[in-house]
Amino acid sequence: MNLLTALARFLIFPGLLFAVPAAWLVLWLERKTVALLQQRIGPPFGQPFFDFVKLLGKSTPPRAGVNGTLMRAWPLIAVSASLGAVGLLPVLPSRGGFQGDLILLLALMELPAICLIIAGFSSRSLFGEIGSAREAVLLISYNLVFLMAVVSIAVSQHSFRLESLATAPITAWRYLGLVAILVCLPAKLHVNPFSLPNAEQEIYSGPMTEYAGFELALWQLSHGLEWIAGVGLVATLAVPPSAYAWIDVISVLFLGFMLVLVVSLIAAATARLAIDTTVRFYWQCTLVFAVAAISSALLMRLRS
Amino acid sequence: MNLWKRMLCACRRRSPWIFHMNSGSCNGCDIELIAALTPRYDAEQLGVLLQGSPRHADILCVTGPVTRTSAPAVHTVYEQVCGPKAVVAIGSCPASTNVFIDSRVLVGPLDKHIPVDVFVPGCPPRPDAIVKGIAAAASLLADRTDSDACAEPPAVSAGNAEEVQS
Amino acid sequence: MKILSLLWNNLRRGVATLRYPAAPPMTSGYRGLVRFDPTLCTGCAVCRFRCTARAITFKAAGKEFTWAYNPAQCTFCGRCVDGCKDHALSQDPNSPPSYVTAGSLSTSYTVKRKTPPPKSPPAPAGTSTQTGDTHESRQ
Repeated sequence: MNLLTALARFLIFPGLLFAVPAAWLVLWLERKTVALLQQRIGPPFGQPFFDFVKLLGKSTPPRAGVNGTLMRAWPLIAVSASLGAVGLLPVLPSRGGFQGDLILLLALMELPAICLIIAGFSSRSLFGEIGSAREAVLLISYNLVFLMAVVSIAVSQHSFRLESLATAPITAWRYLGLVAILVCLPAKLHVNPFSLPNAEQEIYSGPMTEYAGFELALWQLSHGLEWIAGVGLVATLAVPPSAYAWIDVISVLFLGFMLVLVVSLIAAATARLAIDTTVRFYWQCTLVFAVAAISSALLMRLRS
Repeated sequence: MNLWKRMLCACRRRSPWIFHMNSGSCNGCDIELIAALTPRYDAEQLGVLLQGSPRHADILCVTGPVTRTSAPAVHTVYEQVCGPKAVVAIGSCPASTNVFIDSRVLVGPLDKHIPVDVFVPGCPPRPDAIVKGIAAAASLLADRTDSDACAEPPAVSAGNAEEVQS
Repeated sequence: MKILSLLWNNLRRGVATLRYPAAPPMTSGYRGLVRFDPTLCTGCAVCRFRCTARAITFKAAGKEFTWAYNPAQCTFCGRCVDGCKDHALSQDPNSPPSYVTAGSLSTSYTVKRKTPPPKSPPAPAGTSTQTGDTHESRQ
C-alpha cells in the first residue's frame, strides 16, 4: 500500500473525515433506538455533536497530586488508536493493505480499552480504580473469545491479510467466527448487558470520573469510533465480495447500520450483569464455541 | 460573537447534562426529578443526561434544605462541577427551608452557600415544571461565554435568611 | 424472551412522551400559589396562625394591615385557605412557574381596615378592632 492510498484511507474514507461524523451518527442511533424501544422520544438528531462541542468549551479541573499531562494523554491515544483501526478496515478491498494488517487492527482495537484502564488508575480516584479493575476483568474475559474467533477466521482462509479475508469467498466457519465476535461486541462497546465498567451512578462514572472538558469529549469520540471499528470489522468480513466497489461499500454500510440496531436492541433488552455472571458467561458458555471454531479451522488447515 | 462562540452557545443550550444532589431532602423532589427522566416527560428530548460524576455535568440540581452535615458536601460538589455551570434549586426547601424553618440542623437556604440560577417552586414541583426549570438554566448557560463563568457567589452575611423570608 | 415481545409492543404503541413544553392536564383541585383577595379579607390573621411553614406574614398597624406571602417558603398545604372564614384566599390551579431571582414571586398587600357599618343598637362589649365588610350576609 503506497503512501497516498494509506493517507486516503486514514484521513478520508473510512478514516477521519468519514469516521468522526459516522461515530456521532452511530452514538445518536444507539441512543435513539434505545429511546424508541422505551416509548421515549430520545435525543434530537446531532445530539452527540452538540455534546462534543459543548464539552470542548468546558474548563478542565486543576490536577493536584496527579500527572495532568499523563491523564490528558490517554484519551488522545484512545482516539488515535480507534481512528487507526477504522482506517485499516477493508471497506474497499482492492485498495491496498499489507501482510499482517489483521494483527495491527486487533492491536489498535485493544488499545482504547487499555487506555481506559490506565486512565482510571492514573486519575487516582477511588471510583476510577474500581471501574478500571472491572474493565480489566471484562477485557480478559471477552478478549479470549474475540481473539480466538478472529484467528479462526484468519486460519481458515490461510491469511492474516484483511484484503484477502474480505475478498475470499465466505465459508461457514467464517459465520461461526463472526457470531462469536458479535457476542463479544456488547462487552467491547460497554453496552448492556456488559456495561459494568462505566456503570452510571453505580460507581459514579468509573474510570472517567475525574475527566472533564475536552478530555471527556475525546473519550466520547473514542467510544463512538470503537463502535465504528467493531461494527465495521463484522460488516466488512460478512459481506461477500461483488463485482463493483460501490456495491461493496453500500452493503457494508447497510450491514453496519443493521448491526448497530441489533446491538442497541440487545442493550435495551437486557440489564447490567454483575462481574461474576459476565466472567462465567464468557469463560463457560462462549469459550466452548470459540475453541470449537479454532480447532476446526486448524483441522481444516492440517487436512488441506 | 464569532461563529465558534455562537456554535458553542447554541450547543450549551442543547446539551445540558445534570448532576443530582440531595442536601437532606425528604426525597419527594428527588422522585419527581427521576420522574422527569422517565418516558412520559423524557428530559432527554432536550438533550438532558443524568451524569454519574459532577465533573461531567453542567447543571447541578439540588434538592433539600441544606443540613449542617451536607453543607460541606454541597460546597465540594459545587467546586467539582466544571465551568460554565448553573445551579437549579428544586422545590421550596433549597429556596427557603420550607416547613423545617425552626430546625437546628439546617444551615439556611441554598443561596447562602452557592449561587443559585433557577428556582423551581413546588412541594414537590411537577416533573414538567422541573424540566422547564432545567431548560431555563440551559438558556442561561448559553449566555455564559467564558468557560469559567457562573453566577455571582452569594455575599456571606447573616441577613440573607431574613431577606428571603421577607 | 418476553422482553422482546414487550419491546415490540413498545415500538408498535409508539412514543408516549409529552413533547416539550407540553404538560399533562392539571388535576382539579391542584394546590398552587396562594392568591389573596384584599376586598374580602377582614384581617383576622388565622391564615398566619395556621400556616405550617411561616410563608404568610401579617403586620397590623392601626388603620391598616399588611399581608405578605412568600411562595419560596410555602409548602402548598392549603391550611390557610381552609382556615379563612372570609374566603379571601384561594389557590392557583396551575403549577407555579420557575423564577430566577430569589423572592420574585413574593406578594404583599397593604389593606386599609374597613370602617364598621353603623349599628342601631349599641354593641354591649364591642371590640375596637371590629371590622365589618359591606356584605350584609357576613354579619
